[in-house]
Amino acid sequence: MAGEAQHLLQERMTILGELDAESFVPWIRRHAAKLGVSQVITHSGPDRIEVDLSGAPELIDMMEVGCLLGPINVWVETIDRRPVGNAGG
Amino acid sequence: MTVGPMLDEWYPVGIFGQLDEAGRKTMLMDEPIVVARDGNGDAKVTDSSGRILPVRVRYGHVWTSLGEPKKELFAIPEADQPGRRFVDVGVVRVRCSPLRAVENFLDIAHFPFVHTDILGAEPHTEVQAYKVEIREDVDEVWATQVQFYQPQAAKSASGGITTQYMYRVAGPTSTVLYKTCPPRPSEWDVITLFVQPLAEDLCDVWPWMALFDDDTPMTDLIHFQQTIFLQDRSILENQVPRLLPLDPGMEMPTRADLTSVAYRRWLKRHNYTYGAQLVAQ
Repeated sequence: MAGEAQHLLQERMTILGELDAESFVPWIRRHAAKLGVSQVITHSGPDRIEVDLSGAPELIDMMEVGCLLGPINVWVETIDRRPVGNAGG
Repeated sequence: MTVGPMLDEWYPVGIFGQLDEAGRKTMLMDEPIVVARDGNGDAKVTDSSGRILPVRVRYGHVWTSLGEPKKELFAIPEADQPGRRFVDVGVVRVRCSPLRAVENFLDIAHFPFVHTDILGAEPHTEVQAYKVEIREDVDEVWATQVQFYQPQAAKSASGGITTQYMYRVAGPTSTVLYKTCPPRPSEWDVITLFVQPLAEDLCDVWPWMALFDDDTPMTDLIHFQQTIFLQDRSILENQVPRLLPLDPGMEMPTRADLTSVAYRRWLKRHNYTYGAQLVAQ
């Protein structure tokens, strides 16, 4: 299914806010697994988490929308996304 | 469950024009209250201990609060605009979280499937990208540039049109929809959903409208809106979990759900959790 593979994206998602990384990072991993998006956490701190994502554009969109709300003890102020590679193509 | 900061907000508790001196016994966030007209013809609301609660009469409805509101009731300038018809639609009791009722009103994606051939129809199911923001100056959630194809957008519409929408969350259980006005394209029709939280999983919904429509009989306007909401009720009463999740861990929201997500973010920021489920289960 080379045609589908060409539509995979690799993006770095930078999450800023009041983030409880200890609970938010496992939450991000679970949410990515449910969506079928590959993830690698590249930075985690109380006010910034960076995660590299790989997956279909619609699923990465859903990852962003889910993280925007996040778990109850986290307040996400903004999410920035930018390409970090060109998966599958 | 404590009510928390939602205690100090305004809630609708009845249609002013239907009040009498005997009063209407009802509930507000598990507290029994009586909504009545006093000897001067003014609205009066008392709680179970006889305490007189703050009252406003606006948009055809009586509003009250169990606490001490820090803000005046939100404004709807169109309510003072000459030429509009104001429609008190009535009340629909729904066995769901009051926050769920608001969230459902904000959801566009269900139109073709729940309000088939009225507010939507297949194959026109795609929700186009739109803009959502929490406006800090007024502390409200706004969704703008929303558009959707509708076979029968309003009672006054004479066929299918692409309808423009703006959604506004003005209070934790009060939301306002601005929608293309078929007979007057330069104006917005205003359709509101005022929700009275009776309990965390039970509410009375009071839709109200301010329309430019000189032709449609009032009973038809009311019937149109009641038809829409009764279609929603069967969905709302079967949603699981019954409370509105503020953690999307068990859901997979998409771009089309951004208004719902902004509403939940706004609830979370204010700690408005009466009717909410805090942790995904």
